[in-house]
Amino acid sequence: MPSTDKAFEDITGVRSVDIEAALDPAEPDGVYRDSRECAALALLSADTKLLLSPPTPRPKKG
Amino acid sequence: MEQSGATTLLQGAVQDVASDVVSALRGGDHVRVSGAEAVDGPGGSLALAAVRVLGADLLLPHVLFRTPPAPETLTVFRETVEAFPPRADAAPAVMWSHWAMRRTLRRLDPSQAGSPGGDAFAEPDARWLDEATWQVLTHQLAVLAPLAVPGEDCAVARVARRRTVDVARGFVRAVRRRDWPQAAGAGRWLTLLDGVPDALGLQTGLDFVELMGGTDPRVALQAQAARVVRAAGALV
Repeated sequence: MPSTDKAFEDITGVRSVDIEAALDPAEPDGVYRDSRECAALALLSADTKLLLSPPTPRPKKG
Repeated sequence: MEQSGATTLLQGAVQDVASDVVSALRGGDHVRVSGAEAVDGPGGSLALAAVRVLGADLLLPHVLFRTPPAPETLTVFRETVEAFPPRADAAPAVMWSHWAMRRTLRRLDPSQAGSPGGDAFAEPDARWLDEATWQVLTHQLAVLAPLAVPGEDCAVARVARRRTVDVARGFVRAVRRRDWPQAAGAGRWLTLLDGVPDALGLQTGLDFVELMGGTDPRVALQAQAARVVRAAGALV
């Protein structure tokens, strides 16, 4: 690690690895929308059907 | 997963800087970098880190509106590029993010005019995107949304052009998963791509993404960038 990185970490507490993690984040787990949000999208979208098609099956629990 | 205090601090600073960019995109004003008034202090150093994470998008309003950035903003941007060079073994996204910042600097910084091209400005490798599944492709493109700039070509943009339908599928998947940052980034790319399926309803979808996720300034930034690009009618 360059010395400037070390000095930077000493000042801010933010490590280079924190910055790299922010630049290349892992994909978060999906959260599936509920019916109220579907209704909101339906109001917004008079012509579009694709986003309103049946939701992707949720993973089975257990 | 629990985040460290430093990570939380950095995320907050990135959001502050993203808010500054959103304001400039909406108002056509100069970008100001919150917290960068004293570059030598902790706040200034944190601002530099935040600028590094936000990347080339810091100066996006000036690229899209073709206006010169404020000298102090350009200085912060230049210092960030110099302070955070990617490691030789850094992930492709980190390499490309830094390359995008250097490209923007060459475009907007008068002191960079005539700077050497060639190997010194060679693009990082983009082959990992050719082999990526459409889900991974969309995630990576969303992370690299600062490369989605009209009139600017690069290997990542060429992959996006070749895989428009994959990006469209990824956009829908991101909306269904409520991954607003990914959806907004993918939507910004799609705004620049030709051959996007009409059935996607991109404009409505992006409005929905902004409605649901727009309290996050990084989502708002992508949505607003897409809106400006769409208004200009530009393709990559």
